[in-house]
Amino acid sequence: MRLKKYIILGVAGTVLLSCNNLDLQPLSQASTESWFTDKTQVEMSLNTLYLHQFWPMFKNDFGGSIMSLDEPSDDWMNRNTLIVFTNGTLNGDNSTFVKNTWSYSYKAISRCNTILENIDKAKLNLTTELYERYIADAKFVRACMYSRLISHFGDVVYFTKDLTLEEAYSQVRTPKAEILAHIYEDFDYAAQKLPLTYKGTEIKRATKGAAYGMKARVALFFKDYTVARDAAKSCIDLGAYELYPDFGELFLSKTKNSVETVFGIPRSTEYGTPLNGGAVTAYLSRNITSPSATASPSWDLFCSYLCTDGKPIDESPLYDRKNPFMNRDPRCAATIVEFNSNYFGFNYTPHPDSAKCWSYKEGKLVTNKDSKGSDQYASYNGLTLRKGIDEDWSDDLMADNDKLILRYADVLLMYAEAKIELNNIDQTVLDAMNKVRARAYKVDYTSSLYPKITETSQTKLRTILRTERRMEFAFEGLRYNDIIRWRIAEKVMNYTNYGLPTSLASCKAYVKSGYWFIPGIPDIDENGCPDFSKMANLSQCRELSKRVFDANKHYLWPIPTADIMVNPGLGQNPNY
Amino acid sequence: MVWFGFAKVNITINITLKIIKNKLNPDLMKKSVGSNELWQSARRVWTAMFLMLFGSLVCSNMMAQNLTVTGIITFSTGEPVPGASVMVKGTKNGAFSDSKGNYVLSNVPSNASILVSFIGMESQEVNVAGKGQVNVVLIEEAISLNEVITIGYGTAKKRDLTGAVSAIGGEKITARQNTQVVSALQGAMSGVTVTRSSSAPGTGGTIRVRGITSIQESDPLIIIDGVPAGSINDVNPSDIENISVLKDAASASIYGARAAAGVVLITTKRGARDGMSIDYNYSLSMDLPTKMPEYADAPTYMKALNERNWNDTPTGGEYTVYDKDLIANYWSLNKENSDLYPNTDWVALCLKNYALRNSHQLGLATGNDKSKTKISLGYDDVDGLFKSNLSWNRATIRVNNDIRISKWFSTSLDINMKRTESTDPMFSPSYQMRFAAPVYAGIYSDGRLAGGKDGANPYGAMMYGGTSKDTRYQAGGKLSVEITPFDGLVITGIFAPNYNFAKVKDFNKQVSYYTAWDDLSSTDFLDGTNTTDLKETRADSYSITSQLFANYAKSIANHNFNAMAGYEGYHYYYENMWASRGQYDLIQYPYLASGPGTFKDNNGDAYENAYNSYFGRLMYNWKYRYYLQANFRYDGSSRFHKDFRWAFFPSVSAGWVVSQESFMENISWISLLKVRGSWGQLGNERIGNYPYQTTLDFNSPTLYMGNTIVPVQGASAYQLAVPDISWETTETADLGLEINFLNDHLRFTGDYYWKQTKDMLLKLQIPNYMGYSDPDQNAGIMSTNGWDVDLNWNNQLGDLNYSISLNLSDYKTVMGNMEGTQVLSNNLMVREGSEYKEWYGYLSDGIFQTATDVSSSAVTSSAVKAGDIKYKDISGPAGIPDGKIDATYDRVLLGGSLPRYNYGGNINLDYKGIDFMVAFQGVGKKKSMLTSDMVTPIRGDWYNVPGIIVDKYWSNYNTAEQNSAAQYPRLSRTGETNNYAASDFWLIDGSYFRIKNITMGYSFPNLGLEKVGVKKLRVYVSLQDYFTFSHFPKGWDPEVSSTGYPITKSVMFGASIKF
Repeated sequence: MRLKKYIILGVAGTVLLSCNNLDLQPLSQASTESWFTDKTQVEMSLNTLYLHQFWPMFKNDFGGSIMSLDEPSDDWMNRNTLIVFTNGTLNGDNSTFVKNTWSYSYKAISRCNTILENIDKAKLNLTTELYERYIADAKFVRACMYSRLISHFGDVVYFTKDLTLEEAYSQVRTPKAEILAHIYEDFDYAAQKLPLTYKGTEIKRATKGAAYGMKARVALFFKDYTVARDAAKSCIDLGAYELYPDFGELFLSKTKNSVETVFGIPRSTEYGTPLNGGAVTAYLSRNITSPSATASPSWDLFCSYLCTDGKPIDESPLYDRKNPFMNRDPRCAATIVEFNSNYFGFNYTPHPDSAKCWSYKEGKLVTNKDSKGSDQYASYNGLTLRKGIDEDWSDDLMADNDKLILRYADVLLMYAEAKIELNNIDQTVLDAMNKVRARAYKVDYTSSLYPKITETSQTKLRTILRTERRMEFAFEGLRYNDIIRWRIAEKVMNYTNYGLPTSLASCKAYVKSGYWFIPGIPDIDENGCPDFSKMANLSQCRELSKRVFDANKHYLWPIPTADIMVNPGLGQNPNY
Repeated sequence: MVWFGFAKVNITINITLKIIKNKLNPDLMKKSVGSNELWQSARRVWTAMFLMLFGSLVCSNMMAQNLTVTGIITFSTGEPVPGASVMVKGTKNGAFSDSKGNYVLSNVPSNASILVSFIGMESQEVNVAGKGQVNVVLIEEAISLNEVITIGYGTAKKRDLTGAVSAIGGEKITARQNTQVVSALQGAMSGVTVTRSSSAPGTGGTIRVRGITSIQESDPLIIIDGVPAGSINDVNPSDIENISVLKDAASASIYGARAAAGVVLITTKRGARDGMSIDYNYSLSMDLPTKMPEYADAPTYMKALNERNWNDTPTGGEYTVYDKDLIANYWSLNKENSDLYPNTDWVALCLKNYALRNSHQLGLATGNDKSKTKISLGYDDVDGLFKSNLSWNRATIRVNNDIRISKWFSTSLDINMKRTESTDPMFSPSYQMRFAAPVYAGIYSDGRLAGGKDGANPYGAMMYGGTSKDTRYQAGGKLSVEITPFDGLVITGIFAPNYNFAKVKDFNKQVSYYTAWDDLSSTDFLDGTNTTDLKETRADSYSITSQLFANYAKSIANHNFNAMAGYEGYHYYYENMWASRGQYDLIQYPYLASGPGTFKDNNGDAYENAYNSYFGRLMYNWKYRYYLQANFRYDGSSRFHKDFRWAFFPSVSAGWVVSQESFMENISWISLLKVRGSWGQLGNERIGNYPYQTTLDFNSPTLYMGNTIVPVQGASAYQLAVPDISWETTETADLGLEINFLNDHLRFTGDYYWKQTKDMLLKLQIPNYMGYSDPDQNAGIMSTNGWDVDLNWNNQLGDLNYSISLNLSDYKTVMGNMEGTQVLSNNLMVREGSEYKEWYGYLSDGIFQTATDVSSSAVTSSAVKAGDIKYKDISGPAGIPDGKIDATYDRVLLGGSLPRYNYGGNINLDYKGIDFMVAFQGVGKKKSMLTSDMVTPIRGDWYNVPGIIVDKYWSNYNTAEQNSAAQYPRLSRTGETNNYAASDFWLIDGSYFRIKNITMGYSFPNLGLEKVGVKKLRVYVSLQDYFTFSHFPKGWDPEVSSTGYPITKSVMFGASIKF
């Protein structure tokens, strides 16, 4: 029976020796325990802050929800539909964009705080310069995030260290003025410690100029004009930035890392960070791809462009209602596809009589899906975006245009605006504005070949500046904040979106009656915004949608309901 | 001797051979047994003691006049039964039938009864009545008390169970003729609910044992031949000997930390009989959709689109998109030029009329008293309904060997391998083919591909858009060693590795189409097919299970003990990688090497987990009358922090076989009466692999380096760690009653249970401003009450054998404390006080008939007009109706969405070689919602109008009377948010009754082929899922997902042959 014993022991031993080790660690992820000990790890933590999701401008950035930062504004139109921002139904729970803006901003903030709290672990392995630069980098991002939060939500929860669960549940909202002061401190530190430029061998993250510029932006939003002016001036005085000579080319994907970029993040099709899907197709016309033509420049935007004499269309004798692109500021055709221009190899014409259009590629007439005559889903108001879009978008429906978060033209116009509002109008104000305008005409600002701004009345100059910003920055994600801070959203966001009739028969009747392209000339108000309400024959246009904005609440976004539920101490913004 | 009368019982499968050889095998006694034939000696000892006791109590009746009786024992098929035991009742006089079924019994009293028994068949008692020849036809035993049921780490007779266990024999599974095991379980057992949402090739369904156990994971643990398996579909249905489902804690707690949602034990077939047998089965089926919804034709669609636009923008006029003449003349225009004026039936374009399914199953069993082998091979080839690019096939092989090396040492070695290959189109047309509008062409009349709506062409994308080919290999083995150091003790050691390898090739092809029927030069690419891209994925994983356990049985006087203790260890490792290239120039070469060097990407990751467990069981009974059982399991899992890693899961149960009591002796119509009760705790550890640790996620933003864009690496923590995270614990109590009547012809089993899951892992809703994703915490509570009932009847009328089995079960799950969290998804709410997944939405109040009605009522928005659905104003911010309908204050719980009163049943008839089977299944009560896919007209601005709403919606063209009778709201896009919000307006009675299977077979008698070795030939025809009765609107199957692959019904022809 000895054999039996051996076998029993053998079997038992084999099984029991295979007793498993239960202390298993993640295999393909790192653990926080051992992090922040060297330069590489700090750099990797900082890199994360530059993911597109933290700097949303387009549909992709938040994984969809709204098309772009301009969608809630009056520059934008999506067929005959509205979103919760524009139909007045926004609440704390129905906009992924609001919720994401809140949570992603805080995500970035908490990552900044973690870096700032832990960087001392790596201090021995860093030079003082790098150590301070990394701190500055994290503070810069944190300040940008808090700027965004207080701009949209007003008073918010403010903290600068990692919260424990207990602390988190008992947070209250800090007055935005107080937060703003902290934001300035962070930007000031960043401006002091960040490099002006990076060496060719270094990863380029935030710079000194970006810190000044972003500070100017938040100061201007909160009407802190002195701070805004000084920050903008500091940025300009760095002498590191110039206006890119060609306005249209500036936004194309081939223009990389231009001299005008004060703060931007590159996109790359090759490395997996492109614009794609709806963020691309929405802007293209029906001839290029489909589904498409859902994101169109509004008639409001189109009518805001000045004529080449520097006057709005309701004043300028140069405006021809039948040839609406003629004699307009060059940025008009650089932003919106001009009728009968070559667009992706097609002659772009939304005219209902043009069932066929010329294909430059094929050298013959082809079916024109951009015409309301042959495609009911062709752009509902006849307009299609040009800015930033070229063949790079259509080949694979992916685009890698640089994301321009802050460019020099904005710094110049912010400087001008701050000075105008301070009623401190001098030649530097006019020069700053003229530089921007002259670039559009591809001439020097000292030249006389463009409608130079000479106005010095504060009121009139304010109108000019607002129009200038709209022409310059259309579809760059700035318009919404502009109409909010100027407090004109309650007016312009209550206008109606107009467009073209839908069926072929009614479209043809529209053309026959001479209404094409837009039946009349809208009045342009003191903010440079067209008001279609008095326009003749308006009933001939198709009423696409009626925007709704309630001044009693919509200047602030609602605090996401989910957070109020876990921390009722937050309270909701008024009237939500 | 007297004890044969007592032991009319059957025998465990494993020891059949022994019984046949040793006539007086004490295993004929009712007894809890282990799985090993070496138990035999132990049993002898017990039996001897047992006999001594009872022998003196029971009197035998000796008779004088004797004769010699002969006869033939046959199966109902006419086949002879070799080795059947034939006994003179009340004596030890017995014999066995020979290979042709003949037996000879001498010295039989002329008025004696003879008892005939054979493994797997009902025992029969026949009075000799002075005849010299008595032929007996044995019928197959239904699930019976003496059936041996697999329980954790052992087996037990059903009679000895004190927990709730359902079992089903392999032949019932095979009879359903399903490709996947899970489908065959639908309606087969009480308390086991199988739901499915499509019949796509290779898919199965979801199993729930006694409803929902956790909001995390309610899939039962699957054990195949004692070893944890990844999926119930790892095994070929025709390899299954039997399936046991451990439903209550007392039964399942031996599997402790992973058993909370029930345990399904599958035992595969093993070599059994003397000699060799080969059987082969072939079947061919035609699968076709049970139902398909209808959609509007082109003119109806155009009218509806115009009407919708008119409703939404009255100033735009009535004919905004399609002119009146066009609609009026559409059919004649269509006749002239169907390319320009199409009326596309997308479903007909995308689907075949039927798809074929082939199944080959070959089995070989051989054995002698030293070794037994069972080899089975299976091949299933299932074609899908799509016209191209959809298929599934599976090849399986299983070899189970049992080798007895010596009296005290035996071993078994099982090897199984499986390969499945599924082909799916990269673009599944299931969704769009239902909804695409008919006014767009899919193909032109000359065969060229059209674009559908601007490139949205489900047909073209499915046919030419490339395939996803998923090939999986699985190889598993199990080596087990059994040692009996002395009688009564069996030590088992098991080592079972399992390897999986998956290879997936996603090849997305560019598809160009002609943008105009009359323009050959203008082409474009279909949606989602702009580029040709390849992604290759490889994943491999393995698991290794090792077990060591000992069973010890001992009887002392009337006290019967059975103890078991053991260890189990498990380790699982998974790793995958993928690589891709994009923008191929050619569409013929789905290999990475043929793609361009740019647009490359790749990734990979890995994880592992492990557990160690110690477990034990003690079973005791006194005189097979009073039973007690206790189990425990002590589990440690790698998923938790060291300090919170180990947990103890105990259970106890008790049973009382009342019918064994003396006061029941005279109640002869009750053959069994048993009550039993159990309580126990179970756990769930399936909550991710490293939930207690904060891990850093890597990502790669792009930034500039100089003027070059570079992908840089980023890292950040995304989830807050909760270090003390631990098991979910489920506590279950069960009360059961089993009654058999009329000599076991009628059998009833009923159970009532209560279970509560505590420390359920919930997403702890932390404020978003903390900047982390919500971590899991042990917090939630949910409770389920339910009952299961099984009823069986079997008997014979002359040559007709028949059996009927029915099962019915119900449960209701209510959420307890959820720490204030709630989960609302797909209009289903899970929150404190709600049922699990309860419908949540508005209460409707009909359809607004007039503008006055609208203006005087609370509405969801200013867009609401006459013809839209009216809702009740439930509450507001102040707790009273506020004159507005909004999501925060006016939505309420609308009732549970889960199926209630699940029932199923089988009717089997057998008459002279003809067999007939009907299996049915149904749901007695269910609230189902008509999804917005099913009822919304012109969804997404271009989809079609569902056929069910045509002429039944509120319309400005209708009279007031017609409108007041309208079933559906007006056509409107602006009204969509209002009308298709979840509300009771869209709830319907979702109960249904389905005939799962009707099979009729015929076994040819006396084929005359015995000489060539053919023992049996059976042909059969079967209808699966063929008849369904429900309250769903026309065209909708009660189980189908509104956007997925259809549920199919099948006609099947098959033949099986046995050598």
